[in-house]
Amino acid sequence: MNQIFPMQTNSNFRNNKQRVVKKKNNPIRKSRIVDYLDPKFLGRFTNDQGKILPKRITGLNAFQQRRVALAIKYARHLALIPFVAQDIA
Amino acid sequence: MSLRRTYETTVIVNAALEDADVDAVVAKITTYIENHGGEILEVEKWGRRRLAYPINKKFNGFYVHIIFEALTNTIPILERFLVLEDTILRHLTLILPQKLRDYRAKKITGDGRPIEPAPEDEEATADIAVV
Repeated sequence: MNQIFPMQTNSNFRNNKQRVVKKKNNPIRKSRIVDYLDPKFLGRFTNDQGKILPKRITGLNAFQQRRVALAIKYARHLALIPFVAQDIA
Repeated sequence: MSLRRTYETTVIVNAALEDADVDAVVAKITTYIENHGGEILEVEKWGRRRLAYPINKKFNGFYVHIIFEALTNTIPILERFLVLEDTILRHLTLILPQKLRDYRAKKITGDGRPIEPAPEDEEATADIAVV
């Protein structure tokens, strides 16, 4: 009785209210290094227009997101990646 | 008092120049660093590349990447020199952390990322064209 009862409530609770938290997959894991001279790598964190994607989409942690954003800005300065991508139809 | 640090500077030289002239500019920068008590660790010419956007109405640039060790107070002098040099379109000097250096070395040996991106160059321009 004592064993079965909490299990039942737990399962009910999960079904009704608790959402299954989806874990974001972090594309660069726990790496703390971002190379600003690698346009292909940085291209993964920008959209088609060349805008920096938000953290909720990139899945990076706050530290990495800051570093990536900075790296993208350096790379833009060196004309490795565009500020605004041209729309060639 | 000033510290000795490892820096990396990336320079975009006007690609309209002849190869000999580009070499002369690079030599000028390296000798300048050395004259101010710096030590050149690495000079890497990436070659002519298409710029992601035009700079001073130029669409191509000759990229040169220099790693050097210098005292902190030489950097402002070097920056000023780079600004005044009118064959240089862009430059960026940053402290090079040892970790980033190791990371790059690992990457080159690991998956063979071409550092002289002759084939990658075309791909890069193709990417831009598609976007």
